Amino acid sequence: MGPFDGGSSSSSSGSCAGKSPEIDGLLAGAGYKVRSSELSQVAQRLERLENVMVNASNEISQVASDVVHYNPSDLANWVDSMLAELTHPQYPPSDLQNFPHHDSWTDQIGNQQNQNLNHNQQLTMVSTMMDEEDSGIRLVHMLMSCAELMQRGDFSLVASMIQEMQVLLIRVNTRCGIGKVAGYFIDALSRRLFSPSSAVCGSDSALENEILYHNFYEACPYLKFAHFTANQAILEAFNGYDFVHVIDFNLMHGLQWPALIQALALRPGGPPLLRLTGIGPPSPDGRDTLREIGLRLAELARSVNVRFVFRGVVASRLEDVKPWMLQVHSKEAVAINSIMQLHKLLYMDPGRASAMDTVLSWIRSLNPRIITVVEQEADHNQPEFLDRFTEALYYYSTMFDSLEACGLQPEKSLAEIYIQREICNVLCCEGSSRVERHEPLIKWRTRLSESGFKPVHLGSNAFKQASMLLTLFSAEGYCVEEKEGCLTLGWHSRPLIAASAWQAVPDEPTRKRDREGDLSI
Amino acid sequence: MAGSDEVNRNESKMVVPLNTWVLISNFKLAYNLLRRPDGTFNRELAEFLERKVPANTIPVNGVFSFDIIDKTTGLLNRIYMLAPEDEAQFGIVDLEKPLSTTDIVPVIIFFHGGSFTHSSANSAIYDTFCRRLAGTCRAVVVSVNYRRSPEHRYPCAYDDGWNALKWVSTRRWLQSGKDGKVYVYLSGDSSGGNIAHHVAVRASKSDTEVLGNILLHPMFGGQERTESERRLDGKYFVTIQDRDWYWRAFLPEGENRDHPACNPFGPRGESLEGIKFPRSLVIVAGLDLMQDWQLSYVEGLRNSGKQVKLLFLKQATIGFYFLPNSEHFYSLMEEIDEFVNSNC
Repeated sequence: MGPFDGGSSSSSSGSCAGKSPEIDGLLAGAGYKVRSSELSQVAQRLERLENVMVNASNEISQVASDVVHYNPSDLANWVDSMLAELTHPQYPPSDLQNFPHHDSWTDQIGNQQNQNLNHNQQLTMVSTMMDEEDSGIRLVHMLMSCAELMQRGDFSLVASMIQEMQVLLIRVNTRCGIGKVAGYFIDALSRRLFSPSSAVCGSDSALENEILYHNFYEACPYLKFAHFTANQAILEAFNGYDFVHVIDFNLMHGLQWPALIQALALRPGGPPLLRLTGIGPPSPDGRDTLREIGLRLAELARSVNVRFVFRGVVASRLEDVKPWMLQVHSKEAVAINSIMQLHKLLYMDPGRASAMDTVLSWIRSLNPRIITVVEQEADHNQPEFLDRFTEALYYYSTMFDSLEACGLQPEKSLAEIYIQREICNVLCCEGSSRVERHEPLIKWRTRLSESGFKPVHLGSNAFKQASMLLTLFSAEGYCVEEKEGCLTLGWHSRPLIAASAWQAVPDEPTRKRDREGDLSI
Repeated sequence: MAGSDEVNRNESKMVVPLNTWVLISNFKLAYNLLRRPDGTFNRELAEFLERKVPANTIPVNGVFSFDIIDKTTGLLNRIYMLAPEDEAQFGIVDLEKPLSTTDIVPVIIFFHGGSFTHSSANSAIYDTFCRRLAGTCRAVVVSVNYRRSPEHRYPCAYDDGWNALKWVSTRRWLQSGKDGKVYVYLSGDSSGGNIAHHVAVRASKSDTEVLGNILLHPMFGGQERTESERRLDGKYFVTIQDRDWYWRAFLPEGENRDHPACNPFGPRGESLEGIKFPRSLVIVAGLDLMQDWQLSYVEGLRNSGKQVKLLFLKQATIGFYFLPNSEHFYSLMEEIDEFVNSNC
């Protein structure tokens, strides 16, 4: 050091009491808070920012005006937010307002009033803010940047960013909120990077999957909403029919059906004969799970005097099912029930016929009274990885946030694993192994309309009853919305699951149409 | 040009400490966001991004500061003074008494840099620098908040500088020494150095005495592209393109860079021969693309018979003095100290 020690490293115009020792003292004197250990990373990101700015030189001054600037003293965060903004402008940081827990973050950040504070206070406030919430925002920005790098194939940078994020994750509460979600996403990126071809998210064990599914069912209302809404539509479609046949595209534990059986039992005029055909994957250990579920449901039906016939159809994939396996009789009213199954047909194998077309066409050939479709309300099938990643980040953050309301254990933890596996599939898998190809309602509407189906309004009854269902849950924040005859369930105005109902449009004009339009009682 | 940009950045990273590199790169990028191609400037965002600090009458490292509003411009000028020995005297400035009746206390008027557009007297980087300057040279530093371009073009900054000089020269409480006068020096970095020169010229035509000029890589230019500009363009944080923008923002509209404000010894420059111009200390950074203009300036002073000392810091980049983490910084401080305290 030179002869001016008194004026060097700790010089600032306020007292230095609020600073933690790892902050670069000289930069602090210049008004910037950067941890010494992070200097080279910040430098790296400044270089990246410069690259990005060079490429976007025409728009940067406009972008700079439009974007929300977070606390400029937190240099690392500011650089990251500029990077995120310039590399992926469709999701400007202002959209972070819609992030869970946004109230506590955005109130404190980027507040112009900082300028008027005494430097002491400013430093102290910055140091308390350099905690979880800032780290949380930084994590989000870093995740987006990392995903972009992944898309560009910049794998060595991806690897180093993953490491940085894991370090940052330490400073964040990973038991809830952004920390938990970020952890899963960092993990997904890591998996995608290091084991892309063998990326197996979860296990092939049908039993395990069923258990997780069941816990997801218990921990939050999404599946219950799906079952409830679908059952309403099926019930109404079956009105006046004595022979009814439900085809369930994914039986699982048959959780949906006790309620329908009971509702049919109470039908004025008496219950119909109910046939249930449950489709499910083969059980590896020689058990006939489908039959076991069927037996339990038969037991229930008998106890409420509903004549009931069950049939199991084993298929690993929906497109392997042939209509003749379902043994539909001409006199019965058929209901097709697809809870989060149709999206699995969206992979287009170039050498083969479209699985979706195949299935939709035999559905039509069965001339069902009603087709109930429930799907995740998300655009997770976009061709560009970054787009999927960003969408997934918002979607699953919202879902995890809603899950916070659940107090049940181990249901909640197991539900999280269920969701995590879904995330993993969306982000790490490609080709035929990526089955979680969620698409939003608007795309399903187009696809189904173009394949010869027309929408059936779910009706105000369904809406009212779905809303009532929600009151059974203590968590405020879930909301049911009706959109053009379809119902969605979401968390804080972000719909997460959408239910709709359809009928086949007859080919020939001479074919009799029994019922059309609104199904309201 | 992406490849050569990579090389450029690596070079600058090798010659400055990492925290300096981070600081100046951050400025560079933030400033890029603020300058609009049409010549306008995003002042609101600039003010938001600017790290500012309040004055502090509790001394830090033996120096305290306070702000005074300049009645002409309404801008805050900041005064830095050595703290009195007696703690009970902290924060009290006696506006009737001189600084000393025995010793000479230099008063250095400082014009901050920022290419006429950025920064203020209360910017953190300049507050810190002025504080160090006051402490090292055992001087009073008056940091002037001049009006900036593009909102206020030439000659506003010079007018503000001149007003500051007049104000300082007439303060009783800035007088010192047996003669009871204000021992004034003018100084500045980048655009501030340019302002110091022009204020000194104006002072030399009146009775106001300026004892010395300290120009820290002063901002000069001209229409011609010099060798150093071409060689160093984009390599050490600064580009010709951004320099051009700032001159266009400062000079009267329609003017070019041979305007005497920009090019005092150029084709339209005014001769200084025969006028009483103060002696100068000019510091040139060897990695500053403007150095050829600065060296011409030194030449020009010498040719006019003016006393000038050149401190050429070969491996220094612009802004080397913001953080006290290099030999350049300490050399600079020593030179300035000697310059204002040598009592010649």
